[in-house]
Amino acid sequence: MKTSSIRVRVINRVSVLVACCAVLAIAGRASCALTDAVRATTLPNGLRVLVLENHKAPVATFMVFYKVGSRNEKFGATGISHLVEHLMFRGTKTLGPEEFSNIIQENGGTDNAFTTENYTAYFEVINKDHLEVPIRLEADRMANFAPQGFDSEKAVVMEERRLRTEDNPQDSLYEIAQSQAFIQHPYHWPVIGWMNDLEHLTLEDALKYHEVYYSPQNAIIVAVGDFDADKVMRQISENFSQIKNGAKPPPVTEVEPPQKGERRVELRRPAELAAIAEAFHVPNYRDPDSFALEIVAELLADGKSSRLYRKLVVEKRMVVSVDTEYDRLSVDPNLFWITAQIRPNVKVDDVIGVIDDEIATLRDKAPSDDELQKAKNLVQASFVYGQDSIFREAMLLGQYEMLGDYRMLDQYLVGIDRVTPQDVSRVVGKYLNRPQRTLAILIPTGVLPHPAAGPAGSTVR
Amino acid sequence: MAKTKPNLAPLLIALALLFLIPTRLCALEIKRYVLNNGAVLLVSEQHQLPMVTVSIAFDAGSRRDPEGKAGLASLTAASLAEGTRELSASELNKKIDFMGSSLTVSADRDYATASCVSLKKFFPQTLALLTSVLTDPGLRDEDILRKKTEQIAALRSADEEPGYVAKRVFTELLFDHQPYGHLPEGDLDSVERLTPQDVREFYHTYYHTGSAVIAVVGDVDAEQIKGEFDKALAKLQGQVAPQPPPPPPKVPAGAHVTKIDRNVTQANIELGFEGIARSNPDFYKLQVMNYILGGGGFASRLVKQVRSKAGLAYSVASFFTPGKFPGSFQVVLQTKNSSANQAVRMVLEELRNMQTRPVSQKELEGAKRFLIGSFPLKIDRQSSIASFLLQVEIYGLGLDYVDKYPKLIDAVTVEDVQNVARKYLHPDAYILVAVANQKEAALDVSSAAPANGGH
Repeated sequence: MKTSSIRVRVINRVSVLVACCAVLAIAGRASCALTDAVRATTLPNGLRVLVLENHKAPVATFMVFYKVGSRNEKFGATGISHLVEHLMFRGTKTLGPEEFSNIIQENGGTDNAFTTENYTAYFEVINKDHLEVPIRLEADRMANFAPQGFDSEKAVVMEERRLRTEDNPQDSLYEIAQSQAFIQHPYHWPVIGWMNDLEHLTLEDALKYHEVYYSPQNAIIVAVGDFDADKVMRQISENFSQIKNGAKPPPVTEVEPPQKGERRVELRRPAELAAIAEAFHVPNYRDPDSFALEIVAELLADGKSSRLYRKLVVEKRMVVSVDTEYDRLSVDPNLFWITAQIRPNVKVDDVIGVIDDEIATLRDKAPSDDELQKAKNLVQASFVYGQDSIFREAMLLGQYEMLGDYRMLDQYLVGIDRVTPQDVSRVVGKYLNRPQRTLAILIPTGVLPHPAAGPAGSTVR
Repeated sequence: MAKTKPNLAPLLIALALLFLIPTRLCALEIKRYVLNNGAVLLVSEQHQLPMVTVSIAFDAGSRRDPEGKAGLASLTAASLAEGTRELSASELNKKIDFMGSSLTVSADRDYATASCVSLKKFFPQTLALLTSVLTDPGLRDEDILRKKTEQIAALRSADEEPGYVAKRVFTELLFDHQPYGHLPEGDLDSVERLTPQDVREFYHTYYHTGSAVIAVVGDVDAEQIKGEFDKALAKLQGQVAPQPPPPPPKVPAGAHVTKIDRNVTQANIELGFEGIARSNPDFYKLQVMNYILGGGGFASRLVKQVRSKAGLAYSVASFFTPGKFPGSFQVVLQTKNSSANQAVRMVLEELRNMQTRPVSQKELEGAKRFLIGSFPLKIDRQSSIASFLLQVEIYGLGLDYVDKYPKLIDAVTVEDVQNVARKYLHPDAYILVAVANQKEAALDVSSAAPANGGH
């Protein structure tokens, strides 16, 4: 039983598919067959288009990535990226609110969108015969954004924040940890935004944001499925070529300075169980150390034979769950997370101590060839499994193209394969150390009621 | 910024033309075998990727939990994946992880499912490990007790989520001590009482091939895999005694409101009543009806009213949970405490509207076109094909279900939708569970009664 990603950094329009990115982050490819088959082009207006035939099932997926996320936001106006994502479904100059989804569904498709720190993506999965429908609709809302019902949609987003964060002790903890780890860089604030900022966002803010960031030069299209690539390329070109660009979006200039010394933060609130989040500053895909860090994440907490699972869940029975998370495809360097939900009557400091010991062990003694091979096998296998879903294929291509070139995907398993036991120990020593750690602790206050069957509440007629 | 406006007229015309219902969407070749050991094996060969998925369903779901031992089916399933007579839990985990395979056993309401996913090159070893945890499980005291404490801790963790608490209490109230009267994972008190001996007895009673269904999807040869399964599970030969269906739950007239007070910002609401069994012939009519009511996402009335128009909730949906026995119908939503009354009123009004007024032809067509057109999306990868195959066999849907389904949906009429809404929706006799800050929510459903009185 593999643990799923517990730190929600991807905020969906509706609550599905939230945990997919952690899986994708460890998928890659040894041979280059996948990207060789990709047809790539740049339209005259700068829009990048990637098309890949996959005839496994009679379905197709269409994705539009915009290079905008919470990373592009400013103090006092956080959450605008995600709010605009919601508003993209609330109508255009030609379509009424929610008509977009209705048309997709009437054509046997599903649609959704999500916002991350680094990008915003819209997607449809649809019967292969109807792919032109999302192509036309996505072109329409890139060009003709005109949302209706701003206030009610903002209210929906505030309900989403209540659901995900306010009433969720663990998500509250990750939010606080992240805001301590990043002080100057926009990764400081959560993707969904601070509640007070949401209250003050206006329709004008949203229209301006769309105008700056939702242009062809700032977007990537990825289509994967059971279709003829030439035909789909032609349809995309016909629908998107005439859309014009505005000014170039402003660059993100903030850089997080090196952390000098551990940061500790506590969150006290009603909760059932204590929890911890450790976050370490680490490099991203630009640094070859990122491959070794992926292996470290595997060795520590992927699978029941992983070190932290064995020690904390099986041997010492101190935690309900323990996870690692590392997104090497983050546009700017981000965090390596170790999180655990702690059992009742276990001292938080004891859990932190065990994690410290495991980190020290991995730093001082290189893993065996066998254990390293296991981690590499897990990565390779999950890549193959990932190909079983055309949505995941499209996600991967889009994520790499976001960083500049989808063909970097071909280097992924090569990079993983090159990692040596010594690399593993070296990067653990270099990055997973105290001075670069932010440690956040959730301390439950009060006891939650445990209602049992046999009417616990009052009955009203 | 000057952006040009694409002309959408051709699109709208195209949409109108597409209103024809397609007759054949996708083909799924299924081979069916009855094995020597009594199990039914369904195989769908998929050779595009070098991987294989196996799922085996046993008649060992949580509806089999003995009275007072809720959670036993789950604990048994979890304990099975903890080693064999020859391999300790950690030896087994090491082997599985080294191949990058996965091996899981878990129980839901109706069935316990043992599954593995592996690369083709590791399939023989992975399958051998799966079959040996089923035929020769370790089931050692220490491993069972460890899984038990994990299950208890997971229950406490889940109880942190107000939505989970609402769902759990709703289930317990509606199916009061019947086979569906608890969530598969049980509750803190009942799991606390479970013993290793309970687990071993449950395993010996319910893990038999006579009522098992095996689904294999992937890069395999059907005949060869049949031969392997003929041998591999021989030890589990035998039947499981059939379980008599429970009396249907009846919710007496009126609103039965249970309030659970928590210091949260949202009211987490579950509102519902009894539903249907999967074998009920009204299943397809209800699918269409519920799509229009609250199952169809942004096309549904509940989302349109409660979310899109009023901005009261991020998520609101209705669903039936048809199983071997009649399941529930429920509407689930979260809204800020102070909007709880308004949201509940809107939900009840939509339930009544489904009964009193026929749906429009446009809504009916929209529902049919989605349900039929999206069918291929439900079987577009190995894991979803495997669960589809299990359902085909368990509910006797027929190997040609992919072809039959569009016709079953297409036959549903406006009158059918209204009739099943009248028959199966009960806006005047329901259970409502609200986990909320009760002071702020001040829930009072008496104002939600229809104008003409009713109950």
